[in-house]
Amino acid sequence: MSFEMWAEKYRPKTLDDMVNQKEIVERLKSFVKSRNVPHCIFAGPPGTGKTTAALCLAKDLYGDAYRERLMELNASDERGINVVRETVKTFARVRSIGEIPFKIMILDEADNMTSDAQQALRRTMERYTETCRFIMCANYSGKIIEPIQSRCAPFRFTFLPRDEQDMYLKHITDDENVKLLKEGLDAIFEVCGGDLRKAINTLQAAASLNKPVDAKVIYSITGKASPADVRKMIETVMGGNFLDARKQLRDMIQKYGVAGSDIIRQIHTEIFRTEIPEPWKIRLADVVGEIDYRLVEGADEEVQLSALLARLVEAGSELRKAS
Amino acid sequence: MYTAWTVKHKPKSLAEVIGNKETVQKFVDWIKSWDKGVPKKRSAFLYGPPGVGKTVTVEALTADFQIELVEKNASDYRTEDAINRFAGLASQYGSLFGGKRIVLLDELDGLTGTADRGGVKAITDIVKTAQCPIVLIANNAYDPRFSNLRNYCLLVEFKKPPAGEVTKHLRRICILEGIQADDEALKFIAQRSGGDVRSAVNDLQALAQGRKSLTYEDVSWLGYRDRQDTIFNVLRMIIYGRTCTSAKQAVGMADVDIDMLFEWIYENVPEHLTDPHDLARAMDALSMADVYRGRIRATQDWSFTRYVIDYMTAGVTMARQNTKAQGWIPFKFPARIQMLSRSKAERAMQLSIGNKIKRKCHISANRASKEVLPFLGIIFKNNADMAAGLAKWFDLDAEMVEYLAGTRKKTEKHR
Repeated sequence: MSFEMWAEKYRPKTLDDMVNQKEIVERLKSFVKSRNVPHCIFAGPPGTGKTTAALCLAKDLYGDAYRERLMELNASDERGINVVRETVKTFARVRSIGEIPFKIMILDEADNMTSDAQQALRRTMERYTETCRFIMCANYSGKIIEPIQSRCAPFRFTFLPRDEQDMYLKHITDDENVKLLKEGLDAIFEVCGGDLRKAINTLQAAASLNKPVDAKVIYSITGKASPADVRKMIETVMGGNFLDARKQLRDMIQKYGVAGSDIIRQIHTEIFRTEIPEPWKIRLADVVGEIDYRLVEGADEEVQLSALLARLVEAGSELRKAS
Repeated sequence: MYTAWTVKHKPKSLAEVIGNKETVQKFVDWIKSWDKGVPKKRSAFLYGPPGVGKTVTVEALTADFQIELVEKNASDYRTEDAINRFAGLASQYGSLFGGKRIVLLDELDGLTGTADRGGVKAITDIVKTAQCPIVLIANNAYDPRFSNLRNYCLLVEFKKPPAGEVTKHLRRICILEGIQADDEALKFIAQRSGGDVRSAVNDLQALAQGRKSLTYEDVSWLGYRDRQDTIFNVLRMIIYGRTCTSAKQAVGMADVDIDMLFEWIYENVPEHLTDPHDLARAMDALSMADVYRGRIRATQDWSFTRYVIDYMTAGVTMARQNTKAQGWIPFKFPARIQMLSRSKAERAMQLSIGNKIKRKCHISANRASKEVLPFLGIIFKNNADMAAGLAKWFDLDAEMVEYLAGTRKKTEKHR
C-alpha cells in the first residue's frame, strides 16, 4: 500500500490516460493537435475530472515545460477582485517563449468568484487572449456571468457511470493490494455517486483499516467523514430531541464551517423526502423559504436554523399524535 | 473527602513559596540574626494584600528551621488580657525543650476596637521586651492604629507575585492532581486573581476538581460568575413570566448587554420549554429578534433595538402556553460563546491543513478542509504507517498530525 493520496497518485497524467468523459477528451486532444486552445468552461459536479482534464491538456500541450506555462488559481480561496487585478493580470499579460505563444490559466471553482471579480476578468480575458487562455472550472456554469460564458467554449462534465468508476477503483485496488468486496464497491457507488475523488478518498480511508473493505466499513467511514449530516439532524429533531439537534447544527456551523445556505438547501431537499403528512411539507417549505431569505439578508445562521428546527420538532410531535 | 487545595498544596518549605524572594530572604535573615542574640527589632511585621503568602511563609520557615510556632489569629479573642496570657508566656521564656520558638500574631487587621480592646497596646508591650521572635501579620501596616507598634518592628512588605509565578504554581497543582490543563486556562485564572494566590487556587479547585482536563473555554466564563445570580433571575422572569411588561423590565435588571442577554435566552429557552408548540413559538420570537438585529445593522438605526427587546423578552414569555413552570432547572452559560474561541482555533487548524492539501491535490483549501480532511482523520486514527507517509507527503507539522490523529487534548464541554 502506498502512503500518498491515491486520488493524486492515480490522477491521469495525460489525456490518453483519461478513461471517462470520452467526448470531451477527444475534443481536447484535437486542441492539442492543432496547438490552439480557446477559453473554456469546464462545468460539472465535483470529482468528475474537470481539473484533471485541464492539467492533462496543459501537460500534453507543453510537455515537461508545462509548469512555467500553467497557473492554477483557486477561486474559492482567492476570489476577490484584487486577485484578478494583480495575480491574474500579471500572469496573463506576459508572453510565453516557445512554440506555443499562450499560457494557460486554470481558474478552479470559478463559480465562487465574486461577480465583481468576474467582471474584471472579462476585460482581462479579451485583452490578453493572445498571451493567455483561461480554463474556468465550475460546478454550476450558471454562476458564471453571461459575458464570460459567451467567450468560452463550454464543456459539460457528468458523473462517471458505474462501470467506469468500478474500473478505476479496481485498477487502484489491484495496484495497492487492497481487498475490496463486491458489496464494498456497491456501497462506494451508493454513497459517492459518480464523484471519483470522493470514491478514491473513501477507498483509501477504508483501506487504511487494514481489513477487507466491505459495505459496513464504507458506511461507517462516510458517516464519519460527512460532517453535514443533515438527514441525521432531521431525524433527531423529528424524534423530538431539539437540544441534540441544535448541538449537531452548532457543530456543523462552527466546527466544520458548513455554510448555512448549504444546510438549508439540504433541509429543503430532505423535507420532501421525509415521511410527514403531505400538507406539512408545503407548510415547512414556507418556513424554509423564509429562513433562507433571512440568511441571505445576513441573519445569524444558528439562530435562524434552530428556529426552523423547532418547527420540525413541532411537526414531529403532530405526526406522533396522529399515528 | 473534600480537602481545600489551598491547604493540600500549601508550600511545605520556603523554596516552594511563590514570588517575594527578596522579601522572604529579608525575613529569614532576621530570624537567623536571633542566633546571635536578641536583635534591635524584636518583631517582624509582615504586611501585604491577601493571599500573597505571608502566613504561609512563616509556616514554611518554621518547618524548614524546625522552629516551634505559637500562633494566634483573628479567631481567637485578643483582648489585652488574652494576649498577655498567651504571648507574654511565649515570649518571655525559651521553648520548653530549649528549642527555638516563634510567636505569630496573624490577621491583626481583625483586631476590633471593642472586642479586642487594648490589644494593640498589649502587643506593643510584648514586642518591646520579647525574648523570642514575634511575627505580626496584617494587610496594612500603615493603619494608624499600628503607628506606635510599627516603630519596634522590622517592616517586611509582601507584594503580589507576578501572574507567571501564579500560573506555574497552578500548573504544579494540576500535575499533582493529574489534570491536563491548557496554559491559557491557567493563565486566565492567574490573571483574574490579581496576584491573590489563595483565590486562584480556590478558583482552580472549583473549576477543575474531578476533571481530567481543563481548557480555556472551561474557565473563560469565570468572569461571569459574580453576575450569575442576577442573570438567572432575569432568565426566570423572561421564560416563566406572565406579562409582557415584567418580561421587558427584566432587561433592565440584567447587567449584560443586549446581545449577551440574547445568547443567554437563546441557550436556555429549549432547556425549559419542553412543549413543542411553546418551543417553536419561542424560537420564532428569538429568530425575529435576530432579524431586527440585522435590520439595525443594515440601517444603523438603533431605535429598532426596542423590537429586538420585544421579541426576545415578551415574545419568549408569551410563547409559554403549555409548559408548566417546573422545579429547579439550572440555567446554562451560553455554550455558543464558549465554543467560539475553540472553533476559531480549530478552523484555523483545518484551514492550514487544507492549505497543505491544496498544494498537492489541486483543490481549494476550503474544499480540502471539508472534503479531504475528514478522510485523512480516519486514516490518521487507524493506520500509523500510512499516516506517517501522508504526513511526509503533505509536509504536515507535528501539531497537524496530532490534530488529525485526535491525540491532541480534546476540549470538553463544560458541565
